Amino acid sequence: MSYFELMGFGPRGWGLLLLQATLMTIAVSSVAFLLGSVLGALIAWARIEGNRALRFAAEAYTTVLRGIPDLLVIFLLYFGGSAAMTAVAHALGAQGFVGVNAFASGAIAVGIISGAYQSEIFRGAFGAIARGELEAARAVGMSRRLLFRRIVVPQTLRFAIPGLGNVWQLALKESALISVVGLTEILRQAQVGAGSTRQPFAFFITAAALYLVLSSISGWGFQKAEAFGMRGVRRA
Amino acid sequence: MKAWMGCAAALVAALLLVSGASAQTKDWSTIRIATEGAYKPWNFTDPSGKLVGFEIDLAEDLCKRMKAKCEIVAQAFDGVIPALNAGKFDAIMAGMNISDKRKEVIAFSQPYGRTPSTFAVLKSSPLAKLPEAGKVYSLNADGLAAAQKSLNDLKPMLKGKVIGVQTSTVQANFLEQYFKDVIEIRQYKTTEQHDLDLLAGRIDAVFGSISYLKGVVEAPDNKDLMLAGPRYAGGVLGFGVAVGLRKSDPELQAKFDAAVGAAIADGTVKTMSTKWFGFDVTPQR
Repeated sequence: MSYFELMGFGPRGWGLLLLQATLMTIAVSSVAFLLGSVLGALIAWARIEGNRALRFAAEAYTTVLRGIPDLLVIFLLYFGGSAAMTAVAHALGAQGFVGVNAFASGAIAVGIISGAYQSEIFRGAFGAIARGELEAARAVGMSRRLLFRRIVVPQTLRFAIPGLGNVWQLALKESALISVVGLTEILRQAQVGAGSTRQPFAFFITAAALYLVLSSISGWGFQKAEAFGMRGVRRA
Repeated sequence: MKAWMGCAAALVAALLLVSGASAQTKDWSTIRIATEGAYKPWNFTDPSGKLVGFEIDLAEDLCKRMKAKCEIVAQAFDGVIPALNAGKFDAIMAGMNISDKRKEVIAFSQPYGRTPSTFAVLKSSPLAKLPEAGKVYSLNADGLAAAQKSLNDLKPMLKGKVIGVQTSTVQANFLEQYFKDVIEIRQYKTTEQHDLDLLAGRIDAVFGSISYLKGVVEAPDNKDLMLAGPRYAGGVLGFGVAVGLRKSDPELQAKFDAAVGAAIADGTVKTMSTKWFGFDVTPQR
């Protein structure tokens, strides 16, 4: 069977399964990235504006989650999470096993890791806002909320876009680790195909190509977003 | 900001809701069985995404005998034992050999398949001339003396070689126990990874189950590979492939024991194994 027949959409082709796996990779990475954005923003806020205890907690979060292997976080959440939820359910009178859904635990695991990285990006981007702009906003009498909405958010995002592009690609690649909890994304599907047809090379090359396509498209998207964010800024 | 946070909270809540799987009662009218789905011909996946193979057919047969509704799920092999103990599913049928190490954490039914393990090498390798090709030795107490002699004969030929094996398998334990002092053992997460490294000449041999390696050397991409040396079974290599179960479910273990016994007795296992392997894997007593 030729390579294209093997990867095609015919009756003996793996095209449909690989396409579904690609959609799963996109879904789990996107949810994880968005979750990471929310967490990252909160952590960055805690580190900039928080009191001493909050600052310490936020710093501990970023240090720990950037410092331990991602696979470990996934295992902890998936197996530990199931055990904890089963214990809680039993305490409430339920019986049997209560599982953490593979998609949810995978997305949350990658999300909290991504959040640690994103918080650093937001914090750096906030630091890059010209102090004069904040002072000017206060001088015209903007409330804190208005200042946050009109000045801090748009300016921080503008500086954060290139860094966020990097973290998005990290999330995309970390999604491959989620195969250990039984989620069928690109890498797991490639392994299954390789083991089932004994043609590992064809499947792994295809998986590599799929990841490259995803990262190229999203890289182009982030470039456009950056250009849009910088539209009011003259280039030197 | 508030609306945005509300959305985020709703999202997290939704994810948690999805994850609360229904609690199950234990009358075993439904049994969830995990397999790897990538270990031809034991269990693998066809291009439509359907699980097929010897163990899939056998699982369906066993469930009929146990009058249970079975749900077969695919799960990566390296997380399968912790997931069983965490309660993700109730049984494992994934070409898993009974071994003393595994018995410390899970229980097994009686075995439904037993295949010896052997070496695969490049045809151009000096190891292609390993002696006693195809001869089967038992590492159980009755055949241990003869097996030990053959192992000692192999040692000088394997000295300094790098041998690949899938991690956390009985084959890995075998290499550790008998060849640790003369060879370098390289462990791989999946079997197709050590096949690729063998083809690339990065390792000198792989050690694995004959049922798997036979298919490997017959694949068109692998015409440079061949099986070599004697074959070993029993002892550290396990007492056969069996259903893996939680230690806390003895009544389910009894059900599987009876069903496997019946499937062996009436020749079902033999028929299915001839269909999928081309030879009989029924465990001999």
